[in-house]
Amino acid sequence: MLQPKKSKYRKQQKGKMKGNAQRGHELAFGSFGIKALEEAWITGRQIEAARQAVTRYMKREGQIWIKIFPDKPVTKKPAEVRMGKGKGAPEYFVAPVTPGRILFEADGVPLEVAKEALRLAAQKLPITTKFIVRKDYVE
Amino acid sequence: MKSVSLSGSRRENVGKKDAKKLRRDGNVPCVLYGGEEQIHFAVPAKSFKKIIFTPNSYIIELEIDGKKILSILKDVQYHPVSDEILHVDFLQIFEDKPVVISVPVNYSGIAKGVLKGGRLVRKYRKLKIKAFLKHLPDEIVVDITNLNVNDSRKVMDLKLDNVEFLDSPSSIVVAVKSVRTVVEEEEEVAEEGAEAKATDAPEAAN
Repeated sequence: MLQPKKSKYRKQQKGKMKGNAQRGHELAFGSFGIKALEEAWITGRQIEAARQAVTRYMKREGQIWIKIFPDKPVTKKPAEVRMGKGKGAPEYFVAPVTPGRILFEADGVPLEVAKEALRLAAQKLPITTKFIVRKDYVE
Repeated sequence: MKSVSLSGSRRENVGKKDAKKLRRDGNVPCVLYGGEEQIHFAVPAKSFKKIIFTPNSYIIELEIDGKKILSILKDVQYHPVSDEILHVDFLQIFEDKPVVISVPVNYSGIAKGVLKGGRLVRKYRKLKIKAFLKHLPDEIVVDITNLNVNDSRKVMDLKLDNVEFLDSPSSIVVAVKSVRTVVEEEEEVAEEGAEAKATDAPEAAN
């Protein structure tokens, strides 16, 4: 599962996610990809589940790129604990995603295979996405 | 190099409001620079289909209010979510000045390494070149017939008259990589050969 090797501070504030993606909204490596249409915090587990779905469908053919990294720690208080007494313990890591962000890229497989593999990946994610193809792509 | 003609009309007002109005009407705000003056103009969005949604590079003959100008596509901005074209930059070119442009790479022949079971890896879809207008090629054709497994063609191996390649000379353009199955098969054959020798040896000793 993706998570930082080390971090300067254990806990972070929630922060705000405003507007559309300002970077990472165009395909950089592959010919195909999925683009987020909503904003969300994508957890490391969700990214790993999506990655497994793609690699299993593509049967180790071609190549995939994960374009997001869960570097934001999320804390949680234990069950049945009263409010206060400080912030909870770090529980998992998330990648904040804004609309337009490319989540996964793929290449080296036919369009139909990539489309189905990335559809399966999108099912593992908590947001709606769209399949995109490189603008100068020719079969 | 192939050329495409585009016709547009000068923008009377520039600014966010005017640009948004143009986009609502199905036009794309554009700018042309590199010449004596910057020209802000608008082109119908549909006419970009043949220039952008293709792997080819073109010289664009712009016709702005009756005046013809030669140019190349310099930059395109897209909406992050809807991917519609927001703005296009054109660079004016002249016959007596060299042009820097990205040209598609194509491959001719079937590599020897591929016939042996290797995998063809294409590192570049386009290469950046510098040449005068009359010398600009439509595409760069790389002959890969003699490529064996683990061989590659680098930018320094490419030769084209009156054309300068601007990418790093040591960059690999195309390579034939060995596939895991091919290696496994070779290992199996080697193992079988070794076993056969081992079984033959005691018989010979007897």
